[in-house]
Amino acid sequence: MMHPLHQQQWISSRRQFFGRASGIGAAALASLFDSGTSAGGTKLVSRQPRPALFAPTAKRVIYLFQSGAPAQLDLFDYKPRLRELQSTELPDSIRRGQRLTGFTANKSLPVAASKYKFSQHGQSGAWISSLLPNMAHVADEICFVKSMHTNAINHDPGVTFMQTGTESAGRPSIGAWVSYGLGSENADLPAFVAISSVGTGRPNGEPLYQRLWGSGFLPSEYQGVKLRSSGDPVLFLSNPGGVNDRLRRRMLDDVSALNQLNLDRFFDPEIAARIAQYELAYRMQTSVPDLLDFSDEPQHTFDLYGPESHKRGTFAANCLLARRLVESGVRFIQLFHRGWDHHNDLPRQIEGQCYDIDQASTALILDLKQRGLLEDTLVVWGGEFGRTVYCQGKLTTENYGRDHHPRCFTVWLAGGGIQGGLTYGATDDFSYNVAQNPVEAFDLNATILHCLGIDHTRLTYRYQGREHRLTDVGGRVIQPILA
Amino acid sequence: MELMLERLTRPVLVNVLLLVATEAMGETHWAFRPPVRSPLPAVKDVDWIRTPVDQFILARLEAEQLRPSPVANKETLIRRLALDLTGLPPTPVQIDYFLADDSPDAVQRLVDRLLASPSYGERTALLWLDLSRYADTDGYEVDEERSMWPWRDWVVRAFNVNMPFDQFTIEQLAGDLLVGATLDQKIATGFNRNHRINREAGTIPEEFQVEGVVDRVDTTATVWLGLTMACARCHDHKYDPISKEEFYQFYAFFNNLPEIGNGGGEGGAAEPVIRIASVEAEAELAELDRKISGASEDEPLLEELQQQRKDLLKPIPVVMVMKEREEQRKTFVLHRGQYDQPRQLVTADVPKVLPSLPDDIPPNRLSLARWLVDPGHPLTARVVVNHLWKTHFGRGLVDTAEDFGARGELPTHPDLLDWLATEFIRNGWNLKAIRKLIVCSATYRQSSAIRNVPRRTSGSGLANSQAVDPKNLLLSRAPRLRLPAETIRDQALAVGGLLVKDIGGPPVKPYQPEGLWLPISHQQAYVQDHGQKLYRRSMYTFWKRTIPPPAMTSFDAPTRETCIVKRSQSNTPLQALVLLNDTTFVEAARALAQRMITETVDDANQRIRYGFRLATARWPSAAELSILREGLDDYLESFQQDKRAAEVLLTVGESPSHGDAAADELAAYLMVASIILNLDETITRQ
Repeated sequence: MMHPLHQQQWISSRRQFFGRASGIGAAALASLFDSGTSAGGTKLVSRQPRPALFAPTAKRVIYLFQSGAPAQLDLFDYKPRLRELQSTELPDSIRRGQRLTGFTANKSLPVAASKYKFSQHGQSGAWISSLLPNMAHVADEICFVKSMHTNAINHDPGVTFMQTGTESAGRPSIGAWVSYGLGSENADLPAFVAISSVGTGRPNGEPLYQRLWGSGFLPSEYQGVKLRSSGDPVLFLSNPGGVNDRLRRRMLDDVSALNQLNLDRFFDPEIAARIAQYELAYRMQTSVPDLLDFSDEPQHTFDLYGPESHKRGTFAANCLLARRLVESGVRFIQLFHRGWDHHNDLPRQIEGQCYDIDQASTALILDLKQRGLLEDTLVVWGGEFGRTVYCQGKLTTENYGRDHHPRCFTVWLAGGGIQGGLTYGATDDFSYNVAQNPVEAFDLNATILHCLGIDHTRLTYRYQGREHRLTDVGGRVIQPILA
Repeated sequence: MELMLERLTRPVLVNVLLLVATEAMGETHWAFRPPVRSPLPAVKDVDWIRTPVDQFILARLEAEQLRPSPVANKETLIRRLALDLTGLPPTPVQIDYFLADDSPDAVQRLVDRLLASPSYGERTALLWLDLSRYADTDGYEVDEERSMWPWRDWVVRAFNVNMPFDQFTIEQLAGDLLVGATLDQKIATGFNRNHRINREAGTIPEEFQVEGVVDRVDTTATVWLGLTMACARCHDHKYDPISKEEFYQFYAFFNNLPEIGNGGGEGGAAEPVIRIASVEAEAELAELDRKISGASEDEPLLEELQQQRKDLLKPIPVVMVMKEREEQRKTFVLHRGQYDQPRQLVTADVPKVLPSLPDDIPPNRLSLARWLVDPGHPLTARVVVNHLWKTHFGRGLVDTAEDFGARGELPTHPDLLDWLATEFIRNGWNLKAIRKLIVCSATYRQSSAIRNVPRRTSGSGLANSQAVDPKNLLLSRAPRLRLPAETIRDQALAVGGLLVKDIGGPPVKPYQPEGLWLPISHQQAYVQDHGQKLYRRSMYTFWKRTIPPPAMTSFDAPTRETCIVKRSQSNTPLQALVLLNDTTFVEAARALAQRMITETVDDANQRIRYGFRLATARWPSAAELSILREGLDDYLESFQQDKRAAEVLLTVGESPSHGDAAADELAAYLMVASIILNLDETITRQ
């Protein structure tokens, strides 16, 4: 006989389903299923837009992820005293016996001051290095968080932690969480899109991994759709040669009519969903190429984003594409820019990287602003960790390299409910330890979700017996940076 | 507001309350008590019963006043059975044979034929490859190639010879520790070396040695015990009685390998390894090594010899295996799970909530493996039969097949689960026998059509199954299940007559959109294979974990980075794009079109009927035929007007075209074939 407790739970799970069927499940099905049949399928629900829990300050996010770990010391975290200490050994009082990577463990750790000039910009007086002359113009739109820190000291675990909240594989990426939590705003496009570009500073940069835009244990419809920079922008988007639009339409009508006949025999809502997904695929065949076709952009847009914005797949073109995606209602746009891993020959490499990002990131902020989109679009810029104050490899005043440094790094945010013209947190005189207001990846992710109107402690998914969160058991919204 | 709440809060309290209640009653959690074989429950409709499985299912249906669905027709049944047991569609000959078999045991005989097919081992291995996170690359950062495929071939062979599951377990967890271990038994231990390995420059070996062991613990506990032991890495398990100390005791079983942690070793393998070379190759290698050691430093000859050595080694697989270290590595409880925070010393043991290890055997992997398959073990048999049940019903008797702990779902049919578990042990852990019990049941044979849709009234006095059991937990019908990614592609190849059925060997690289690897990988380009390698079963497709084959992941194949028990079942526009436009599927449509033209009489309707049946195992209805026929005429007219378009379309794929059909005609049939391959029915087993 069934154990009474078993019986009890079975009944309650049945009630749970009923609750759902009379809520969103039924609503979503009704729109596709005019016969009114309803049965277990709740999958269509994933694409429906869902209101946030509380008023969001951002409707969408553009995350400009800088893969390889940019050197905070050469970009934003100005440490004037280091010039005097050039080549001296990093003091033990700063180093505090923290672990080092296999590259520099048991080696000399000479201080390498940044060779770049820093100056203050905007009313806020933000420090920005001469590597980023354009960004200096939008300093007052940006909130710099200089006190980020993480545990990982290698790229793969580091990037994976920033994007999924764990150093190992298997968890959903932040965009997948958002897609799961908020659904899609556009019927013809995915809610979550990933784009990548290769850095000119270091063309053979750190690789990327599909898990960074994957759905982990969430149902796979929440994974990011990768827009590619060559060939079909979405995999398998183009019809085979010889199949024109009329033929495709006719063929899809036949598929649909046959699927409908099968639906009439089996009454399975999955068949209705399949019919709808084929229509969406057909619409994507038009909507995606339209997004990538920049021919409707005026010359001044290209002037704004810079000469590289004409070349598909560059960071600049991807920034422009991000703005177009935002306009089309895509919720989460994850850009990856590779090439920031500067163990040696840093100046040459970082100059290439800054050539890629300086004008384009600035343009993105300005462009969003003049279109009135910046106020509800959150832009985030940052990598997986920072780089060391001490030199890796040969040190001269003109050339040096920096190793991985998880103990502090800088990210910046703009728009979507974030206070511009603010610097939050600080590091010590060596940009080695966080000196004030430490922020971890969980806090950053909690803040991004908060801007979207999501309480990070309540966006959960049950897997392997527990309620998982993007922020695991941590995360605290960085209240002082909210507008 | 309400909608968001729906999304964010899930009823977690139920189980927690139950747990509290159970403990208050002084009872052990159900899954930690050994299974009890109850007598088969009485049922009213005894004629419906075909195997003991049905008595449990029917008793429950009758209790809820539900009636089972009618039996599915024979065409549906043979397709369902063939796809479930072999991952391939039935051929017209097999269908005709089955339809003509009027004997009462026609289904049993069909099942015997399918279980005896070598494709059975391949289909069954799919589940095991997900569980064991099997792949062809190491999974971190640069994601280099490895050669674990001899282990994969071992799995296929083991399923095909129906190796008893207890032996299957012992050889994979501890084959190396068996007295006189054979090469095969050592290869089998590759199971616990399939985890990812981080070779990134600058890594700290100790950190990733720990990650590797944690993965072994997590995977072993999930696969055999259905327990989420990894939760106890950092702190005592919140819901199950597994302490942090017990986690590290279990960890100690897997911690004693002579391994470095962040790589090392030749050919993408990390010690300990076995090189699987022929006697001749080994002799040649020894000879080369002799020459190399004799050659002087700067001779060009040396370089040439080293190149020869490299070329010789290249195709020889090096399988990572389990092996014990000579000097026992000490295991400590790690504070917060961190590799550099060792605390108290522990020795290998199993969690106290489960039966203890016998006192008279050493606490090593072999003892652990034997303990797992001890007939008195409460979990292993239940967990395994649940995996098998899930294969056929899309959902386990315990829905959380990965978690039998306190937070897992309770079984829908606890007595059936226990009966199957005890039967599994009683019949000597015979996998094929359990599969047969399941698929020969009347439960399995039901139609999957949803009845009693709300607009109809149920006048029979019986309950409306849709209202009482909308998720079909009680199985008053068979489920309709979308096919796994691999099966969708294999079926298209088979239906097109392209499938190459060779079993095993190194992975192959079929079509993949150009430029998929290069822009995001470490200068790695995908070099596509040609000829027969384009048409092997999908389980042999090269699996790069950081950029897995896109057509597979579109249909929910996991990345194989971690142990996955359940695949999601998504329904997305990207899937439509794969079936419509991927070279594999367009070429399969061309090949199917060609079969339609060459393998039947010269009549459009007959050709369409034939093609439709190849994919769905049934003849199309008049309505279906007329849709396809009208389509064909339209496509034909279109291609007659634009012969160039037809020619272009026919160039998709590398397989040669046969026969003398005109391009416009073949292209028109290609469109019809493509419709057939795109049908929801085709990618579903109904």
